[in-house]
Amino acid sequence: MLSCGNPAVEEQALMPRRSKFGKSKDCVRCRLKPGNIAIRHAVYCKECFTPIVDMKFRKALEPSVNARAGTSKRPKLKASGNLCLGFSGGLGSSILLDMVHNTYFSNRPPLDDSGKPRGGINHPRNASVWPSCIVCYVEVCGAFPGMQDRTEAIRSVVERYPSFDFVPLRIEDAFDESWWTKVSGSNSTPQVWLELSKEGLITDGLHVASKVTGLTPAEAIRLYLSSLPTQTAISSALQNLTRVLILHTAHSGGSSHLLFGSSLTSLSISLLSAISQGGGYAIREELQEEWAPVAASGSKPDNVLRVIRPLRDVTAKECAVYAWWNNVFVIGRDKQRRAILGIAALTKNFVVGLEKDYPSTVSTIARTCEKLEPKDAPSGQCRLCKRPMQSAIQEWKGRISIRSYSDDKLAADLAHIPLPCRSNLDTSTPCQVPPLLALTDFLCYSCHTTLTSRSSRGVKQSAPGVSSITPLPIWVGDRGLHRDGLMDGGARRKIPEQEMLDTVANFLIDNQDDKE
Amino acid sequence: MAPTSCSLCRDAKAILKRPKTGQQICKDCFFFVFETEVHHTITESELFKPGDRVAIGASGGKDSTVLAYVMKTLNERYNYGLDLFLLSIDEGITGYRDDSLETVKRNQQQYDMPLKILSYDELYGWTMDAIVEQIGKKNNCTFCGVFRRQALDRGAASLNVDHIVTGHNADDIAETVLMNIMRGDIARLGRCTLICTQGEDTIKRSKPFKYAYEKEIVMYAYFKKLDYFSTECIYSPDAYRGHARTFLKDLEAARPSAIIDIIHSGEAFEVKEEIKAAQKAQQTCKRCGYMSSNDLCKACTLLEGLERGMASSVITDRARKKMDAIGPAPDNIRTIPLFRSTPTIAVELPSQS
Repeated sequence: MLSCGNPAVEEQALMPRRSKFGKSKDCVRCRLKPGNIAIRHAVYCKECFTPIVDMKFRKALEPSVNARAGTSKRPKLKASGNLCLGFSGGLGSSILLDMVHNTYFSNRPPLDDSGKPRGGINHPRNASVWPSCIVCYVEVCGAFPGMQDRTEAIRSVVERYPSFDFVPLRIEDAFDESWWTKVSGSNSTPQVWLELSKEGLITDGLHVASKVTGLTPAEAIRLYLSSLPTQTAISSALQNLTRVLILHTAHSGGSSHLLFGSSLTSLSISLLSAISQGGGYAIREELQEEWAPVAASGSKPDNVLRVIRPLRDVTAKECAVYAWWNNVFVIGRDKQRRAILGIAALTKNFVVGLEKDYPSTVSTIARTCEKLEPKDAPSGQCRLCKRPMQSAIQEWKGRISIRSYSDDKLAADLAHIPLPCRSNLDTSTPCQVPPLLALTDFLCYSCHTTLTSRSSRGVKQSAPGVSSITPLPIWVGDRGLHRDGLMDGGARRKIPEQEMLDTVANFLIDNQDDKE
Repeated sequence: MAPTSCSLCRDAKAILKRPKTGQQICKDCFFFVFETEVHHTITESELFKPGDRVAIGASGGKDSTVLAYVMKTLNERYNYGLDLFLLSIDEGITGYRDDSLETVKRNQQQYDMPLKILSYDELYGWTMDAIVEQIGKKNNCTFCGVFRRQALDRGAASLNVDHIVTGHNADDIAETVLMNIMRGDIARLGRCTLICTQGEDTIKRSKPFKYAYEKEIVMYAYFKKLDYFSTECIYSPDAYRGHARTFLKDLEAARPSAIIDIIHSGEAFEVKEEIKAAQKAQQTCKRCGYMSSNDLCKACTLLEGLERGMASSVITDRARKKMDAIGPAPDNIRTIPLFRSTPTIAVELPSQS
């Protein structure tokens, strides 16, 4: 092709560095005081900065608070359920806690002489936007031996806000039947196991764990993570487990809103990272989503959980300055988890580095992704990440690359296989091609890639004597794998002859008629 | 240690690991799967019909050389019934394009295809050497890219072809998806993953290597011992694209499927209807008749800037308005000839040896 391009960057080609701020050093808002901080070439003083960030926060959150938008320009805010905040200890979520508390929970209604709210609890003036607020933290130390448990340290941070209830979770809860029973009310969900080394994740690799396996949830999560093929997959799996644990906890606690403290910077990083991992179909959910677990009947319940990122217009730099000037205590995220390499970490380094020369990059990524929507209607909810799933994913994967000569699609092309390669060719039995009913059909592209895509350094081999099967999160087995035809008490079910006959009976010509 | 046998034919010794699938396969199977995947891309998208005249955008580089070879092979193997041509654009870059065009001329002999070379000098009255002399290296890729696209269409029109195929590979497309997201180019993001694009009154453009990894193209050229030119352009300082390319290579090193995963993402989403409705409608350039979203197409705007000595100030729409405010274009500036899709230029046929 006639393209050209050299990745080596020449000095002259770099964008000229712009000055840090615009024409004036005075605050662009009040125009009175000298500026203290430059945000994308605009200068703000300390007094004007905090209200601006607060305003961005409310502007991003409040249009989604009421269940129905209504016609009023300034509707009275009233959520249909409780509030849940996802907390990691990092900068964004620390600020989120502080902002939510100061904006919606610190202004207690005036009390009368008896110590009760004046006018009664039910007086409209005294009603909170959300009746209560829980703060969920997912401790990941169970996945990494030797890692420090930070639950108590996090608890002490949350206790600074008396209106919030702390709900500690552990990453291994994703494999804990008792936790699942608590949040879903279901007590007969089978633990699904999968043979990850097999390409295509065929149902022959699925097993129901017997009660005697004796794996603790912590052992299960470690086995699961160690079975994943790349660092990218581990990082992505942890992120998904954390997200789904919080989603279920929030939903089961009657929350109508779940807030995450993703800043504009971290949101842009996660958007670009999701696209790089094949998650383009669910890009809208990465920004904001309306989530509900799919019920046993396959339908979605009415009480939908809105997942919102109210700091989506506030950059990481603004968050840092806000925390510093408002004395927000930031305990920080655990370093060991941050050290996991992979696409997410590469994307972060790339975006943060690029932002130095091209300061609008972060904002542009988020704005561009806001203008996108999935091409087709979803074919269901992914069993692993619980996000909408595109149809015909395996067909697409099969179309773009040939992985086996037994693929039906190759039938017309086999005549062109070079002669030296034909002697040992066996096209009679399909291999590696997923059968009709496979777990692959219930996974989104991104999750399927997480489980199967390998690094260029080769396939990780199991140690001798170590089982190559791994448990999957407890929610994968929810909603009737039996109904979906994936499982029946053990491996794939052999259909009895009589049952097959019953199914096709209407299409058979009755032999009796012939005899007569 | 015993040699690994090919994962596909299970017979011959595996000599390479496919970057796209990670499978260890033999050389013959690699040629077969590479060619057959391109064939499937072509047939499933119904790119051609028998009797089509197809121009292959040829630069002498690895992608276009392999494309010419594979198109010729598939055309003969599956009886596509296509008339294939080589179409090259001479940007006028001394020490780069003149050398690579020598490779294209050799390809013309090797593949026995008619070749048409159209130069920027012939079409616009400017070579890239002259443009860089006026504007410097910064932004010169903008001029080259805009001029090349139109030159290809004009070259194709002169050959009276129905279709141009280019050697854009999976890496190029993944890189473009990332670039368009990072710079907010919604219009291009919407169409960059399409295998075939067609503007009003213009010739169809396709990318048969859409799902072919760059590494596999290099591998194919290496094992087939194809004759190609591998020097990078001497004026290629598109720093932003360079950043995106480096990032993509890092992603590929972390997980090779990243390239195809990005393409899948790009195919899975689309621009919201309300955003599409707000985009500018396609029209024709009032000066040269080429498709455009403004009164003047980008090539005419850039050319006017060069002619008026204000080239560096016409890259953006705002700068364009500034130039307009100074006054209308003088009558004596060179302009691009009116676009017509009729054959006007002679084609150089391969010499019969």
